[in-house]
Amino acid sequence: MRDKPYFAVIYMFILTAFFSALLIGFSRMTRQRVQMNEQLNFEWAVVQAFPKIQYQNNQQIHQIFTKQFAKDEQIGAYLYQKDGRLQGYAVPFSGKGFWDKIEGVIGIAADKKTITGVSFYEQKETPGLGARIDEDEFRRQFIGKTIEDGPKPIGIVPSAQTLAENQVHAVTGATQTSIRLEALMNQDIRAWLDAVEKKEVAP
Amino acid sequence: MIPTKPTKEIMLDGLWRDNPIFRQILGICSTLAITNVVLNTAVMCISLTLVTALSCLTVSFLRNWTPRNIRMMVQTLIIAFYVIIVDLILKAYWPQMSRNLGPFVGLIITNCIVMGRCEAFAGSNRPLPSFMDGLFNGIGYSFMLLAISVVRELLGMGTILGIAMPYFSTPYWDKWIIMVMPPGAFFALASIIWLCRSMKRKGAKS
Repeated sequence: MRDKPYFAVIYMFILTAFFSALLIGFSRMTRQRVQMNEQLNFEWAVVQAFPKIQYQNNQQIHQIFTKQFAKDEQIGAYLYQKDGRLQGYAVPFSGKGFWDKIEGVIGIAADKKTITGVSFYEQKETPGLGARIDEDEFRRQFIGKTIEDGPKPIGIVPSAQTLAENQVHAVTGATQTSIRLEALMNQDIRAWLDAVEKKEVAP
Repeated sequence: MIPTKPTKEIMLDGLWRDNPIFRQILGICSTLAITNVVLNTAVMCISLTLVTALSCLTVSFLRNWTPRNIRMMVQTLIIAFYVIIVDLILKAYWPQMSRNLGPFVGLIITNCIVMGRCEAFAGSNRPLPSFMDGLFNGIGYSFMLLAISVVRELLGMGTILGIAMPYFSTPYWDKWIIMVMPPGAFFALASIIWLCRSMKRKGAKS
Protein backbone atom coordinates (compact mmCIF):
# COMPACT_ATOMS: atom_id res chain seq x y z
CA MET A 1 0.00 0.00 0.00
CA ARG A 2 2.71 2.47 0.97
CA ASP A 3 4.52 2.32 -2.36
CA LYS A 4 1.34 2.97 -4.33
CA PRO A 5 1.24 6.45 -5.90
CA TYR A 6 -2.14 7.29 -4.40
CA PHE A 7 -0.83 6.65 -0.89
CA ALA A 8 0.64 10.15 -0.69
CA VAL A 9 -2.70 11.70 -1.59
CA ILE A 10 -4.67 9.67 0.94
CA TYR A 11 -2.02 10.26 3.58
CA MET A 12 -2.07 14.02 3.08
CA PHE A 13 -5.85 14.04 3.03
CA ILE A 14 -6.14 12.19 6.33
CA LEU A 15 -3.45 14.27 7.97
CA THR A 16 -5.04 17.55 6.86
CA ALA A 17 -8.47 16.42 8.01
CA PHE A 18 -7.05 15.43 11.37
CA PHE A 19 -5.21 18.69 12.08
CA SER A 20 -8.02 20.84 10.70
CA ALA A 21 -10.53 19.11 12.94
CA LEU A 22 -8.35 19.84 15.96
CA LEU A 23 -8.02 23.48 14.94
CA ILE A 24 -11.72 23.92 14.35
CA GLY A 25 -12.41 22.49 17.76
CA PHE A 26 -9.87 24.75 19.39
CA SER A 27 -11.08 27.85 17.63
CA ARG A 28 -14.68 27.06 18.65
CA MET A 29 -13.51 26.78 22.22
CA THR A 30 -11.83 30.18 22.18
CA ARG A 31 -14.17 32.06 19.84
CA GLN A 32 -16.42 33.40 22.54
CA ARG A 33 -13.44 34.64 24.50
CA VAL A 34 -11.90 36.29 21.46
CA GLN A 35 -15.13 38.12 20.64
CA MET A 36 -15.63 39.12 24.23
CA ASN A 37 -12.09 40.52 24.32
CA GLU A 38 -12.83 42.64 21.29
CA GLN A 39 -16.03 44.03 22.78
CA LEU A 40 -14.43 44.68 26.19
CA ASN A 41 -11.56 46.34 24.45
CA PHE A 42 -13.91 48.76 22.75
CA GLU A 43 -15.75 49.48 25.98
CA TRP A 44 -12.44 50.04 27.69
CA ALA A 45 -11.47 52.55 25.00
CA VAL A 46 -14.75 54.43 25.36
CA VAL A 47 -14.33 54.71 29.12
CA GLN A 48 -10.67 55.73 28.73
CA ALA A 49 -11.79 58.69 26.62
CA PHE A 50 -13.27 60.14 29.82
CA PRO A 51 -10.39 59.98 32.32
CA LYS A 52 -12.60 61.37 35.10
CA ILE A 53 -14.52 58.10 35.26
CA GLN A 54 -13.32 56.13 38.26
CA TYR A 55 -13.21 52.36 38.22
CA GLN A 56 -11.39 49.59 40.04
CA ASN A 57 -11.37 46.71 37.60
CA ASN A 58 -12.44 45.53 34.22
CA GLN A 59 -15.84 44.24 35.30
CA GLN A 60 -16.72 47.74 36.39
CA ILE A 61 -15.84 49.08 32.97
CA HIS A 62 -18.47 46.85 31.46
CA GLN A 63 -21.05 48.02 34.01
CA ILE A 64 -20.22 51.67 33.49
CA PHE A 65 -20.41 51.23 29.76
CA THR A 66 -23.80 49.55 29.74
CA LYS A 67 -25.29 51.95 32.30
CA GLN A 68 -23.93 55.32 31.26
CA PHE A 69 -23.27 55.09 27.56
CA ALA A 70 -25.92 54.87 24.88
CA LYS A 71 -25.39 54.81 21.17
CA ASP A 72 -26.91 57.60 19.13
CA GLU A 73 -27.11 56.18 15.60
CA GLN A 74 -27.95 59.56 14.10
CA ILE A 75 -24.64 61.16 15.03
CA GLY A 76 -22.60 57.95 15.07
CA ALA A 77 -21.39 58.48 18.62
CA TYR A 78 -22.05 57.28 22.16
CA LEU A 79 -23.74 59.67 24.57
CA TYR A 80 -22.27 59.71 28.04
CA GLN A 81 -24.94 60.37 30.62
CA LYS A 82 -24.57 60.57 34.35
CA ASP A 83 -27.12 61.66 36.97
CA GLY A 84 -29.60 62.34 34.18
CA ARG A 85 -27.39 64.90 32.50
CA LEU A 86 -25.43 64.68 29.28
CA GLN A 87 -21.73 64.66 30.16
CA GLY A 88 -20.22 64.22 26.73
CA TYR A 89 -19.87 62.33 23.52
CA ALA A 90 -17.64 59.36 22.78
CA VAL A 91 -16.88 59.64 19.08
CA PRO A 92 -15.29 56.53 17.54
CA PHE A 93 -12.80 57.10 14.72
CA SER A 94 -11.05 54.69 12.40
CA GLY A 95 -9.02 54.61 9.23
CA LYS A 96 -5.82 53.42 7.67
CA GLY A 97 -2.65 54.14 9.61
CA PHE A 98 0.89 53.55 8.39
CA TRP A 99 0.70 49.76 8.48
CA ASP A 100 -2.87 48.85 9.22
CA LYS A 101 -6.13 50.09 10.60
CA ILE A 102 -6.09 52.54 13.51
CA GLU A 103 -9.28 52.60 15.56
CA GLY A 104 -9.97 54.68 18.61
CA VAL A 105 -12.35 56.88 20.52
CA ILE A 106 -12.23 60.59 21.27
CA GLY A 107 -14.19 61.93 24.20
CA ILE A 108 -15.74 65.36 23.77
CA ALA A 109 -17.51 67.22 26.59
CA ALA A 110 -21.17 68.30 26.43
CA ASP A 111 -20.11 71.73 25.10
CA LYS A 112 -19.13 69.86 21.89
CA LYS A 113 -15.72 71.52 22.02
CA THR A 114 -13.52 70.42 24.87
CA ILE A 115 -11.68 67.14 24.40
CA THR A 116 -11.87 64.97 27.50
CA GLY A 117 -9.51 62.28 26.24
CA VAL A 118 -8.38 60.01 23.43
CA SER A 119 -7.86 56.26 23.39
CA PHE A 120 -7.10 53.53 20.90
CA TYR A 121 -8.41 50.00 20.73
CA GLU A 122 -6.80 48.85 17.53
CA GLN A 123 -3.50 49.83 15.98
CA LYS A 124 -0.58 47.97 14.43
CA GLU A 125 1.90 50.82 14.04
CA THR A 126 5.66 50.26 14.39
CA PRO A 127 6.36 49.13 17.95
CA GLY A 128 8.42 51.76 19.76
CA LEU A 129 7.59 54.45 17.20
CA GLY A 130 4.12 54.85 15.72
CA ALA A 131 2.70 52.51 18.32
CA ARG A 132 3.57 55.10 20.95
CA ILE A 133 0.40 56.99 20.03
CA ASP A 134 -1.10 54.47 22.44
CA GLU A 135 1.09 55.67 25.33
CA ASP A 136 -0.16 58.04 28.01
CA GLU A 137 2.39 60.69 27.15
CA PHE A 138 0.88 61.22 23.72
CA ARG A 139 -2.75 60.67 24.63
CA ARG A 140 -2.69 62.95 27.67
CA GLN A 141 -1.86 65.94 25.46
CA PHE A 142 -5.39 65.93 24.08
CA ILE A 143 -7.08 66.45 27.44
CA GLY A 144 -8.50 69.97 27.73
CA LYS A 145 -7.78 70.92 24.13
CA THR A 146 -10.67 72.30 22.09
CA ILE A 147 -11.67 71.20 18.64
CA GLU A 148 -11.99 73.78 15.93
CA ASP A 149 -15.22 73.98 13.95
CA GLY A 150 -13.41 74.02 10.62
CA PRO A 151 -12.08 71.57 8.05
CA LYS A 152 -9.34 70.52 10.48
CA PRO A 153 -10.86 70.09 13.96
CA ILE A 154 -7.56 68.91 15.48
CA GLY A 155 -3.90 69.07 14.53
CA ILE A 156 -0.89 66.83 15.20
CA VAL A 157 2.23 68.90 14.59
CA PRO A 158 6.00 68.30 14.86
CA SER A 159 7.38 68.73 18.36
CA ALA A 160 9.30 71.92 17.51
CA GLN A 161 6.16 73.90 16.72
CA THR A 162 4.25 75.97 19.23
CA LEU A 163 0.76 74.67 19.75
CA ALA A 164 -2.58 76.21 18.92
CA GLU A 165 -5.60 75.42 21.08
CA ASN A 166 -6.55 72.43 18.93
CA GLN A 167 -3.05 71.01 18.41
CA VAL A 168 -0.84 68.40 20.04
CA HIS A 169 2.75 67.30 19.44
CA ALA A 170 3.38 64.27 17.27
CA VAL A 171 5.42 61.26 18.39
CA THR A 172 9.03 61.81 17.29
CA GLY A 173 10.08 59.48 14.50
CA ALA A 174 6.51 58.59 13.55
CA THR A 175 5.77 61.12 10.83
CA GLN A 176 3.70 58.83 8.64
CA THR A 177 1.59 57.57 11.52
CA SER A 178 0.98 61.13 12.69
CA ILE A 179 -0.06 62.41 9.27
CA ARG A 180 -2.52 59.57 8.79
CA LEU A 181 -3.82 59.69 12.35
CA GLU A 182 -4.50 63.40 12.03
CA ALA A 183 -6.35 62.88 8.76
CA LEU A 184 -8.50 59.99 9.96
CA MET A 185 -9.36 61.63 13.26
CA ASN A 186 -10.32 64.85 11.51
CA GLN A 187 -12.46 63.04 9.01
CA ASP A 188 -14.54 61.31 11.66
CA ILE A 189 -14.71 64.28 14.04
CA ARG A 190 -15.84 66.46 11.12
CA ALA A 191 -18.51 63.92 10.21
CA TRP A 192 -19.70 63.90 13.80
CA LEU A 193 -19.81 67.72 13.95
CA ASP A 194 -21.83 67.81 10.75
CA ALA A 195 -24.24 65.18 12.02
CA VAL A 196 -24.71 67.08 15.28
CA GLU A 197 -25.41 70.33 13.45
CA LYS A 198 -27.87 68.59 11.18
CA LYS A 199 -29.63 67.07 14.15
CA GLU A 200 -29.92 70.43 15.87
CA VAL A 201 -31.47 72.03 12.80
CA ALA A 202 -33.98 69.25 12.28
CA PRO A 203 -34.23 67.03 15.31
CA MET B 1 20.14 4.26 10.51
CA ILE B 2 22.64 6.81 11.77
CA PRO B 3 23.02 6.65 15.55
CA THR B 4 21.51 9.66 17.28
CA LYS B 5 23.80 12.22 18.86
CA PRO B 6 23.87 12.23 22.67
CA THR B 7 21.39 14.67 24.19
CA LYS B 8 24.14 16.85 25.63
CA GLU B 9 25.60 17.32 22.17
CA ILE B 10 22.18 18.22 20.76
CA MET B 11 21.70 20.81 23.48
CA LEU B 12 25.15 22.35 22.99
CA ASP B 13 24.74 22.47 19.23
CA GLY B 14 21.43 24.27 19.42
CA LEU B 15 22.52 26.70 22.09
CA TRP B 16 25.95 27.65 20.85
CA ARG B 17 27.96 25.58 18.35
CA ASP B 18 25.26 25.58 15.67
CA ASN B 19 23.26 28.50 17.05
CA PRO B 20 20.51 29.33 14.56
CA ILE B 21 21.19 33.06 14.62
CA PHE B 22 24.93 33.55 14.44
CA ARG B 23 25.98 30.17 13.01
CA GLN B 24 23.18 29.05 10.72
CA ILE B 25 21.91 32.65 10.10
CA LEU B 26 18.32 31.37 10.08
CA GLY B 27 15.17 33.13 11.23
CA ILE B 28 16.71 36.52 10.57
CA CYS B 29 13.45 38.02 9.34
CA SER B 30 11.79 37.87 12.73
CA THR B 31 15.06 38.84 14.40
CA LEU B 32 14.99 42.09 12.51
CA ALA B 33 11.28 42.69 12.92
CA ILE B 34 10.41 42.22 16.56
CA THR B 35 13.55 42.89 18.58
CA ASN B 36 12.96 46.57 19.33
CA VAL B 37 11.02 46.02 22.56
CA VAL B 38 12.11 43.33 25.03
CA LEU B 39 8.64 42.15 26.12
CA ASN B 40 7.45 41.51 22.57
CA THR B 41 10.67 39.67 21.84
CA ALA B 42 10.26 37.45 24.88
CA VAL B 43 6.75 36.39 23.90
CA MET B 44 7.85 35.80 20.33
CA CYS B 45 10.76 33.66 21.55
CA ILE B 46 8.54 31.52 23.76
CA SER B 47 6.09 31.03 20.89
CA LEU B 48 8.82 30.09 18.45
CA THR B 49 10.52 27.71 20.87
CA LEU B 50 7.25 25.89 21.57
CA VAL B 51 6.35 25.71 17.88
CA THR B 52 9.78 24.41 16.91
CA ALA B 53 9.95 21.79 19.64
CA LEU B 54 6.42 20.46 19.09
CA SER B 55 6.68 20.55 15.31
CA CYS B 56 9.93 18.57 15.42
CA LEU B 57 8.32 16.08 17.77
CA THR B 58 5.32 15.58 15.49
CA VAL B 59 7.36 15.42 12.30
CA SER B 60 9.59 12.83 13.90
CA PHE B 61 6.59 10.75 15.00
CA LEU B 62 5.29 10.66 11.47
CA ARG B 63 8.66 10.29 9.75
CA ASN B 64 8.32 6.54 8.99
CA TRP B 65 4.90 6.91 7.34
CA THR B 66 5.42 10.18 5.50
CA PRO B 67 6.27 9.63 1.82
CA ARG B 68 9.51 11.43 0.90
CA ASN B 69 8.01 13.42 -1.95
CA ILE B 70 5.35 15.15 0.14
CA ARG B 71 7.35 15.63 3.36
CA MET B 72 7.57 19.40 2.90
CA MET B 73 3.81 19.70 2.65
CA VAL B 74 3.39 17.61 5.76
CA GLN B 75 5.91 19.73 7.65
CA THR B 76 4.23 22.96 6.64
CA LEU B 77 0.88 21.60 7.73
CA ILE B 78 2.21 20.59 11.13
CA ILE B 79 4.01 23.90 11.68
CA ALA B 80 0.95 25.90 10.62
CA PHE B 81 -1.16 23.88 13.02
CA TYR B 82 0.97 24.81 16.03
CA VAL B 83 1.33 28.43 14.95
CA ILE B 84 -2.44 28.88 14.67
CA ILE B 85 -2.85 27.38 18.12
CA VAL B 86 -0.33 29.85 19.56
CA ASP B 87 -2.06 32.70 17.73
CA LEU B 88 -5.47 31.71 19.08
CA ILE B 89 -4.16 31.38 22.62
CA LEU B 90 -2.69 34.89 22.45
CA LYS B 91 -5.88 36.30 20.96
CA ALA B 92 -8.04 34.73 23.64
CA TYR B 93 -5.89 35.19 26.72
CA TRP B 94 -3.47 38.01 25.99
CA PRO B 95 -5.16 40.29 23.44
CA GLN B 96 -2.81 43.18 24.17
CA MET B 97 0.23 41.13 23.22
CA SER B 98 -1.54 39.70 20.22
CA ARG B 99 -2.03 43.25 19.01
CA ASN B 100 1.59 44.21 19.66
CA LEU B 101 2.99 41.32 17.69
CA GLY B 102 0.51 41.84 14.88
CA PRO B 103 1.26 39.65 11.88
CA PHE B 104 4.51 38.24 13.24
CA VAL B 105 2.95 35.38 15.15
CA GLY B 106 1.42 34.08 11.95
CA LEU B 107 4.74 34.52 10.23
CA ILE B 108 6.39 31.96 12.51
CA ILE B 109 5.16 29.49 9.89
CA THR B 110 7.72 30.85 7.48
CA ASN B 111 10.49 31.04 10.06
CA CYS B 112 13.40 29.16 8.53
CA ILE B 113 14.49 27.67 11.85
CA VAL B 114 11.31 25.64 12.30
CA MET B 115 11.34 24.02 8.91
CA GLY B 116 15.12 23.85 8.90
CA ARG B 117 15.16 21.75 12.07
CA CYS B 118 12.24 19.57 10.90
CA GLU B 119 14.01 18.88 7.63
CA ALA B 120 17.59 18.56 8.90
CA PHE B 121 17.00 16.68 12.13
CA ALA B 122 13.47 15.58 12.96
CA GLY B 123 12.94 13.89 9.61
CA SER B 124 15.61 11.28 10.37
CA ASN B 125 15.73 11.04 14.16
CA ARG B 126 13.62 9.57 16.94
CA PRO B 127 10.94 11.77 18.56
CA LEU B 128 12.62 12.59 21.86
CA PRO B 129 15.99 13.73 20.45
CA SER B 130 14.05 15.69 17.81
CA PHE B 131 12.04 17.42 20.51
CA MET B 132 15.26 18.31 22.34
CA ASP B 133 16.82 19.56 19.13
CA GLY B 134 13.85 21.79 18.39
CA LEU B 135 13.69 23.02 21.97
CA PHE B 136 17.34 23.93 22.20
CA ASN B 137 17.46 25.56 18.80
CA GLY B 138 14.53 27.63 19.99
CA ILE B 139 16.35 28.53 23.18
CA GLY B 140 19.49 29.35 21.20
CA TYR B 141 17.42 31.65 19.03
CA SER B 142 15.72 33.16 22.06
CA PHE B 143 18.78 34.20 23.98
CA MET B 144 20.36 35.83 20.94
CA LEU B 145 17.14 37.72 20.25
CA LEU B 146 16.79 38.82 23.83
CA ALA B 147 20.37 40.09 23.80
CA ILE B 148 19.64 42.09 20.65
CA SER B 149 16.38 43.49 21.98
CA VAL B 150 17.93 44.56 25.30
CA VAL B 151 20.57 46.52 23.40
CA ARG B 152 18.03 48.06 21.05
CA GLU B 153 15.47 49.03 23.66
CA LEU B 154 18.14 50.43 25.98
CA LEU B 155 19.91 52.54 23.38
CA GLY B 156 16.77 53.53 21.51
CA MET B 157 14.29 54.20 24.30
CA GLY B 158 16.34 54.18 27.50
CA THR B 159 14.22 51.42 29.02
CA ILE B 160 14.30 47.65 29.52
CA LEU B 161 10.93 45.87 29.64
CA GLY B 162 9.42 49.35 29.72
CA ILE B 163 11.23 50.23 32.97
CA ALA B 164 13.30 53.40 32.76
CA MET B 165 17.00 52.68 33.20
CA PRO B 166 19.33 55.01 35.09
CA TYR B 167 21.41 57.27 32.86
CA PHE B 168 19.88 55.99 29.60
CA SER B 169 16.47 57.48 30.35
CA THR B 170 17.88 60.81 31.55
CA PRO B 171 18.44 63.80 29.25
CA TYR B 172 22.20 63.04 29.32
CA TRP B 173 21.56 60.15 27.00
CA ASP B 174 20.52 61.33 23.55
CA LYS B 175 18.26 58.45 22.55
CA TRP B 176 19.36 56.63 19.43
CA ILE B 177 15.94 56.52 17.78
CA ILE B 178 17.43 54.60 14.87
CA MET B 179 17.99 51.60 17.15
CA VAL B 180 14.26 50.95 17.51
CA MET B 181 13.69 51.47 13.82
CA PRO B 182 14.30 48.67 11.30
CA PRO B 183 17.84 49.82 10.30
CA GLY B 184 18.91 49.58 13.92
CA ALA B 185 18.18 45.87 13.81
CA PHE B 186 20.79 45.37 11.11
CA PHE B 187 23.46 47.16 13.15
CA ALA B 188 22.61 45.26 16.32
CA LEU B 189 22.40 41.89 14.58
CA ALA B 190 25.66 42.36 12.67
CA SER B 191 27.50 43.44 15.82
CA ILE B 192 26.22 40.52 17.81
CA ILE B 193 27.10 37.97 15.09
CA TRP B 194 30.56 39.49 14.91
CA LEU B 195 30.94 39.34 18.68
CA CYS B 196 29.76 35.74 19.00
CA ARG B 197 31.84 34.49 16.11
CA SER B 198 34.99 36.07 17.51
CA MET B 199 34.27 34.53 20.91
CA LYS B 200 33.70 31.20 19.27
CA ARG B 201 36.97 31.31 17.36
CA LYS B 202 38.89 32.03 20.55
CA GLY B 203 37.15 29.13 22.26
CA ALA B 204 38.08 26.78 19.44
CA LYS B 205 41.76 27.67 19.66
CA SER B 206 42.21 27.02 23.36
